[in-house]
Amino acid sequence: MANSEAEKLFKEFKIQSVSEFFRRNAAMLGYTGKLRSFTTLIHEAVTNSLDACEEAGIPPYVRVEIEELGNEHYKIIVEDNGPGIPEKFIAHVFGKMLAGTKAHRNIQSRGQQGIGISGAVMFAQITSGKATRVITSTGGDEIIEAWVGIDVEKNEGKIFKKIKHPNPTGWRGTRIEMEVKEVRYIRSKQGPYWYLKLTAIANPHAHIELIEPDGKLIVFPRSSEEVPEPPEEMKPHPKGVMTDDVYRMARRTTKTTVRTFLIGEFSRISDKKIDELVKYITALRLIKEEEDQNVREQLLKRLADGEVDGIIASFGGKGKKVLREVRKIMEKSPDKLTWHEAEEIVEAFKYMTFLAPPTHGLRPIGEKNIEKGLLGILRPEFVTAVTRPPKVYRGGIPFQVEVGLAFGGELGSDFDLLRYANRVPLLFDAGSCVITSAVRNIDWKRYRVDDLERTPLVLLVNVVSVHVPYTSTGKQSVASEEEIYEEVRLAVMEVARRLAKYIGGKHRKLYQVKRRKTFEKYVPEISRALSILTGEPEDTIKTLLIKIIEKKFETIEEKPLEAEENA
Amino acid sequence: MLKREKPKERFSYNPKKVLEKLEEFGKEVLEELKVGRNPFIDVPTRGLSNVYFDEKDRLIKMGNKTSRRYLFHVAHARRFMQTLLIAAYIKRLVAEGKHASLREAYYANKHTIPGTKENTFEDQSESDPIIEDLERMFGVLREEMHITADRRGYVYGDIVIKDGEDEFNASRLGMGGWAVPGTVEHIEFPEINVDYVLVVETAAMADRLIEEKYPKKEKALIVATQGQASRGVRRLIHRLHYEEGLPIIVFTDGDPYGWYIYSTIKQGSINLAYLSEKLATPEAKFVGMTMDDIKKYGLENVTEKLKGIPPNKKGGPTGDYKRIIEEMNYPWFQNKEWQRQLKLALDWGVRIEQQALANKSLEFVARKYLPEKIANEELLP
Repeated sequence: MANSEAEKLFKEFKIQSVSEFFRRNAAMLGYTGKLRSFTTLIHEAVTNSLDACEEAGIPPYVRVEIEELGNEHYKIIVEDNGPGIPEKFIAHVFGKMLAGTKAHRNIQSRGQQGIGISGAVMFAQITSGKATRVITSTGGDEIIEAWVGIDVEKNEGKIFKKIKHPNPTGWRGTRIEMEVKEVRYIRSKQGPYWYLKLTAIANPHAHIELIEPDGKLIVFPRSSEEVPEPPEEMKPHPKGVMTDDVYRMARRTTKTTVRTFLIGEFSRISDKKIDELVKYITALRLIKEEEDQNVREQLLKRLADGEVDGIIASFGGKGKKVLREVRKIMEKSPDKLTWHEAEEIVEAFKYMTFLAPPTHGLRPIGEKNIEKGLLGILRPEFVTAVTRPPKVYRGGIPFQVEVGLAFGGELGSDFDLLRYANRVPLLFDAGSCVITSAVRNIDWKRYRVDDLERTPLVLLVNVVSVHVPYTSTGKQSVASEEEIYEEVRLAVMEVARRLAKYIGGKHRKLYQVKRRKTFEKYVPEISRALSILTGEPEDTIKTLLIKIIEKKFETIEEKPLEAEENA
Repeated sequence: MLKREKPKERFSYNPKKVLEKLEEFGKEVLEELKVGRNPFIDVPTRGLSNVYFDEKDRLIKMGNKTSRRYLFHVAHARRFMQTLLIAAYIKRLVAEGKHASLREAYYANKHTIPGTKENTFEDQSESDPIIEDLERMFGVLREEMHITADRRGYVYGDIVIKDGEDEFNASRLGMGGWAVPGTVEHIEFPEINVDYVLVVETAAMADRLIEEKYPKKEKALIVATQGQASRGVRRLIHRLHYEEGLPIIVFTDGDPYGWYIYSTIKQGSINLAYLSEKLATPEAKFVGMTMDDIKKYGLENVTEKLKGIPPNKKGGPTGDYKRIIEEMNYPWFQNKEWQRQLKLALDWGVRIEQQALANKSLEFVARKYLPEKIANEELLP
């Protein structure tokens, strides 16, 4: 009796703990506040759809429908034309709660939370108590309808009910229906509408539709047929790894020695670099043994300057001995690598120089597609975009910045800054974001923008990286890395220069048109008066005047516009 | 005694001359267009900066500063168009022998430019200066271009006036005399039985003199200006002097305004400096009122105080005082007599009206004041 009581208690406690964990970490997972939670739910579902489509090379068609069921009670339906989910993976996809560790994935991914759609399923479950309905087909003979939830005890996905339907039309795609509470739909700049609009701009290859709770249909049509290549996994760069990464990777590798493991699993490490690494680890070991702190610091400084051979030589026979010991590390099996040795390797990496990391895995939106996205969704009068070449921050993490600018046309009269990280709109924490500060610190007056806030201008800034440095666990603002700041600034200045040139040219053109009109409108008056004064026929004079005006403006318009470089 | 002298100018009205000038202007513009050049006109600059006092001729004259106006110039095009429009209008007026007032000229040429919301002339203040520009460009009076000035002022005296078909004696038209029309270019004087012209500032004084039969008794032609002399009156005075040899004597109030009227008749004005040679009469003389008259005729108790603040008081000089000081600086008032009168006015702080003479008696001005002063040649230059 007492035993079963305890068992029951324990069971209760376990259930509680998983949902408690979820609630406690809600901020980290993006589920804080009624508005933001809603946006996060939409984000997880739409991201899943877009990623699936891209991986399958299908131009995405995503439809989001929101039904209001009661006070702070909604049904969210997200449907896509993606590849569909095979029956046996359904539970895995929707229930892999917290399974994705914070492992250093060297892949540029949309998913920010690392927990994805299962988090959304969890949220639905703990707020409404309802399972998520999934309807999916890979385009085969059957459509699978399943109710998915999370088994909080086992902490894994569970299918409560499954029905198979025939698929006569060969429909392919996935539709999920979630019932959620404790959220609120607001059409603000942090809500689902704005999120989808921004997503549509950064993903011009996607067709996105939204049906709002009041039944209003909003369509963000596709403006590019080109489906981006799925991102490639990149081997980590030695400058961008931590001890844990090296240690864990060494456990997983199929390579037989530490040397081949390092060469094979990291980028920019060659056989020669391993010999260099051995020297640096040796030097560091020797320096650590030095008792005088001043001498130690001096030696570390010399090491940073590359005097590794000199340092080892200065320790004489002891140096040679340590060198031999360290060499042995490189030849042993990677799974024998100790935490301490991994630590030494990472520390040595810091003193060594490597080629910049490869950037082939970065997937920027691209200048053309940014322009298409901005044009298609915002219908501005002028649009331009810059994708900067890849750069590296913190010595080893590749990143790339791209900026799009839209001006005039159907834009509102205010300035808008659209921030993205790996194409995902960042809607919160704008104040602490490096993108915001870089954009604000530009002297806009130099680019013919007198009052930025009251200019019909939209700037899109996308920071692309396998590892975007966020300021906080909320992952809504990019940290002030100097290199990122500088790249954003350069890219914004470049588009701003183009804008200034456009505005300048527009003014000049307007001025010419106005000038020409000034003369043209008087032609009939002048002709009549001159005809009266001279007796020459009015039409002759008219023709004469028009000819002169034409000639005059022909020569003016031929003159090329001089570049207006202000920066 | 004042007597009619030999004429120095001849009747010169010739409408053809104006037509020729207009046509020539049009042809020049057209020629420039035909050779593909940007036509321009040189308009003498208006304003004080382009005005000077010619000591020899004793006239305010226009300098030779001009501003060039191009047809194909954003800032000039509209005025160029307006100039052509008015020139064409004047050509038709003169050719048809019709006259138009400034306002009529404005309305006749005002219309919306096709395809725009713009009018050829938005306001009369746009058309009036164009007409002045044409006067200056061509050196002809607008009256010669059949644009009439305001009509103001009248004439009474024993002269025969020929106005078109009509001929009449200006002393047989009743007490009101003959009203001077806007344009006097075509007026001729077949018969003149007066010795001089007395230009009178106020109509009330002119009426008094007519009632007292002054024109007949003194063989004078009364010209009432009714305030500042209109262009027509000034041109008439000029013609009576130069074409008919009549001496001109001016009779105004003894105040800065009256003296300015005299100065305009005599030397011309800054605004119409370009026309001084046709409008001004430097030989005109001034009979009164003067400051000396106050003492001489015992009019101390009928003077009026000058308006404004005297120069030695805080905030001064303003009003009449300021005006008198300005007049003292005029080149043509740089003589002992005038400086003395103006100085007295400043010192005493008074002004004296023509009609103050009625304080003596109604007949006083006609029987004693004027005949005595004129006979004794107590006239200011």
